[in-house]
Amino acid sequence: MRLVRFLAVVTVMVSGALLGSGCGNSRAKASDPIAVPSGPMTELAKQVPGRIKGAGASFPDAFYQEAVAGLRQVATKLSVTYEAVGSAAGREAFGQGLSDFAGTDSLVGEDDPIAAGTFRYIPTVAASIAVVVNLPGVTDLRLTPEALAGIFQGDIGRWNDPAITASNPGQELPDREIVVARRADGSGTTKNFTRYLDRAADNWRLGGDDTVEWPSHTQGGQQNSGVAQIVIDTAGAIGYVDYGNAAQLGLTMAAIRNRAGRFVAPSIAATQAAIDSSELTEELTYDPLDAPGADAYPITAPTYLLVRSSYDDATTGRAVVTFVRWLVTEAADTYAADLGFAPLPERFRTAALSALDQIQIDPR
Amino acid sequence: MTVVDMPTDAGHDVEVSLEANLSPARRIADHAATAAMVLSFAVAAVPLVMIIGYVFLKGGQVVDMAFLTEAIPNSYRRVGPGMGPAVVGTVIITAAASAMAIPLGVLGAIYLNEYGKQNRLARTIRFMADVMTGVPSVVMGVFVYVVWVLRFREQTGFAGSLALACLMLPIVIRTTEEMLRLVPDELRLASLALGARRWRTTLTVVLPAALPGITSGAMLAVARAAGETAPILLVTGLTFDTNWSLFEGNNTTLAAQIFRNASQPYEGAQLRAYGAAFTLILLVFACTIVARIISARFSTTR
Amino acid sequence: MTATALPPEAPSDLTSSDKGAVADRAFSGAALGAGVAILAILGLIAWATISKAWPAFAEQGFGFLTVDRWAPSQDVFGALSMVYGTFVVSAIALLASVPVSIGIALFTTEVAPRRMRSAITLVVDLLAAVPSVVYGLWGVLFVAPSVTPLFHSISNVVGDWPLLGSLFGGGGGSGRSFLTAGLILALMITPIITSVTREVLATVPRGEKDAALALGATRWEMIRGAVLPHSFGGMVGATMLGLGRAMGETIAVALTIGSSFQITTELFESGAAMPSTIALEWGESSGQHRAALIGLGVVLFAATIAVNSGARAIVARAERRMRGA
Repeated sequence: MRLVRFLAVVTVMVSGALLGSGCGNSRAKASDPIAVPSGPMTELAKQVPGRIKGAGASFPDAFYQEAVAGLRQVATKLSVTYEAVGSAAGREAFGQGLSDFAGTDSLVGEDDPIAAGTFRYIPTVAASIAVVVNLPGVTDLRLTPEALAGIFQGDIGRWNDPAITASNPGQELPDREIVVARRADGSGTTKNFTRYLDRAADNWRLGGDDTVEWPSHTQGGQQNSGVAQIVIDTAGAIGYVDYGNAAQLGLTMAAIRNRAGRFVAPSIAATQAAIDSSELTEELTYDPLDAPGADAYPITAPTYLLVRSSYDDATTGRAVVTFVRWLVTEAADTYAADLGFAPLPERFRTAALSALDQIQIDPR
Repeated sequence: MTVVDMPTDAGHDVEVSLEANLSPARRIADHAATAAMVLSFAVAAVPLVMIIGYVFLKGGQVVDMAFLTEAIPNSYRRVGPGMGPAVVGTVIITAAASAMAIPLGVLGAIYLNEYGKQNRLARTIRFMADVMTGVPSVVMGVFVYVVWVLRFREQTGFAGSLALACLMLPIVIRTTEEMLRLVPDELRLASLALGARRWRTTLTVVLPAALPGITSGAMLAVARAAGETAPILLVTGLTFDTNWSLFEGNNTTLAAQIFRNASQPYEGAQLRAYGAAFTLILLVFACTIVARIISARFSTTR
Repeated sequence: MTATALPPEAPSDLTSSDKGAVADRAFSGAALGAGVAILAILGLIAWATISKAWPAFAEQGFGFLTVDRWAPSQDVFGALSMVYGTFVVSAIALLASVPVSIGIALFTTEVAPRRMRSAITLVVDLLAAVPSVVYGLWGVLFVAPSVTPLFHSISNVVGDWPLLGSLFGGGGGSGRSFLTAGLILALMITPIITSVTREVLATVPRGEKDAALALGATRWEMIRGAVLPHSFGGMVGATMLGLGRAMGETIAVALTIGSSFQITTELFESGAAMPSTIALEWGESSGQHRAALIGLGVVLFAATIAVNSGARAIVARAERRMRGA
């Protein structure tokens, strides 16, 4: 009796669902195609065999994953996996020899189990961190670093606060509570965002780190997309997410006043302007936060791969060098901009390629 | 107080005939209480219908062969199938967990019911098995991470199986013991009287008699394990490509994929989460149905 | 219980050979080993997790449980806000679920016609069969966005009232809150409370129920006078089992609670719970942070063991008393 009833209910549900799926077939089901890369670096990558593994930063993950998937279409002998476990965990795995390369948004520190001189930074792409808002009727918002700091540390609670309206003349801002969305997990995005505020806004008190002690009334989201989700769901919300997610989701992005005093909204061009006006060190690191360029978007973050200065295993070493060469050149040109990442300017690329040339493969 | 044991139906008759003479307050209280009980059932049933309906409507849109077999897109932003690696991962991880937990659990139950009975050790084990069913799955994940993943330095499907097995073990022990207890002692005595040894009696007489019930309990444990998420997140890592190996490389399951995709703002990811939920629910319900068919057959032949 | 006394050593000497005796001993040894495995695993869980969490415990001391500051980048790990969050969502879940579960159990055992009972059991079983991550999925993609406007309008109305204002005044935020997580949890623990309660209710002797009815009691009076007092202990146990489940639930809470480390009476605000924090922060943790997360697991393990042993003891005692009666 019970069994018959149970089966009946399940049958009705399943057939209902199948009916539903029959009706819903109009939805496009195929995956969007992945662009096929081409060029001399790609040709080289086709020749080189190997299986290499990297882990680390999630900030550039969208670009790395797309590139890896694109590479798989053309290079059958070279297999690359990249796992977005976070910058710190990525550096740890790299230091312990568990991965062949690592992705990181921040520089190697004293806590990391990586000896100086055993690795090199290779800058790959850069991206802006967009300040996104959900304010019905407002598509254009300008924020000073001080207002941004005030909002995110809870000093400014409503959208019509004078600190916000002052930089938005002629704009009617609602008397609505501000809901702050921020990362719940530790992340390089938070680090760069808070480091920027620490540098550019005198009133910022929370310091700059992977996680800071956010005021209690803020909402935590998992990863950039989780923060974006909260902003989408919540009228009156503000959050910070990478430009790629913000653009893809069509979120309203605020223009931030840069060091030159101009309000600049995030874009690939503004990101490139920020990179262009920052300096590349000997180690191939650079700091585009609060860059001086007139058109520079001020909250722009770099990201690097860590590769070893020498690889004991020749196959692995050659595979890593070939992959990274391809990643910073043709892969960046093919995939980065569509995903919201800015390819590096020529002088950065030249430096990166010559650093890769110096990597010792099979020292014996 | 000793009362004459009346058949229930007679009780109802009495009640009905009395109702006419009740004071309004008592009648209202009685009706209100009945209404509250019906309401509480509705309160539980409505969300269930909503959840299942929602998941089936949304998930049914995307589930087809391609969804069940193709690799997981490596970007949340991509629209389209599939969940192949998660289907494979769910099946092999749960199967390996069952292969460990079910024999061990049945053996443990045999100890409790055939050997230990009410001695102190058996009572302790029984109590601890009950307590162990309440240990949160995330704690099992932490545990397996500490003793297995840290040692072998890799998150693997097998680590997930171990955690799931720890969750299944107490359930299997307790349900199996209940079933063994239902086997009449006459069977055991008859077998022993025919000269069979204890182990042979247990394996060839007692276990077969209880087998339908044991199977049904095991299926319920399997259903529970297949839907577990937290330990998988901690110990099996993540993969976008099908990995048939339990011992090498990361793996993933439907439940883990639902979790990863659920909080993504992209429609493709959300639909994949619903599709995975649809698949998982069908899988779990299938286990439940099988369990019910078996136990229904069991109860009629008993 | 059918356990009539079997002779401790079976009289199976008819086929006696050394081989058989060895097999017998081997088999009983294996069975004993499997039973002891439970104890070994529980012991191993305690030892292994505590030893790995020790660096964090040693560093934080009692502050691990009494300090309201969780700052991984500063190596400060005070889990008070998560203990609080776990407590609040579990309390909400119990408040919502216990009356409903008892109602369903009473409905099944005392009111519903026999034919309907199987349908009710089916619904309860299905509720139990839906994986927790599916509850979470539904909670975060459907419930949270739908309740946001509701939360807002409630908080606008009662915001200034005493008491209610402090419970329902603040925020509304994104709909991911203590209340959302608590209500989803309530749904998830309803099956376990219902089924244990049903078992307890089934042990009430029919004689007492019939006696109440014979004395002219209405059905409700019979339930209040004969059924409920009799099964009170068992229902407390059932509630505690539900509490154990609620405290440990990870994924559904992780998706719906909102992940803010704060202690507030406002139920529309987002918070954090111990198990959800482990799952959410695990991937990107290392060193002391990882040790602290394992430490959360230890606290959770201890708490659920305590609650569950208490519950089982209460249920067992209630059932024993019932059978004796």
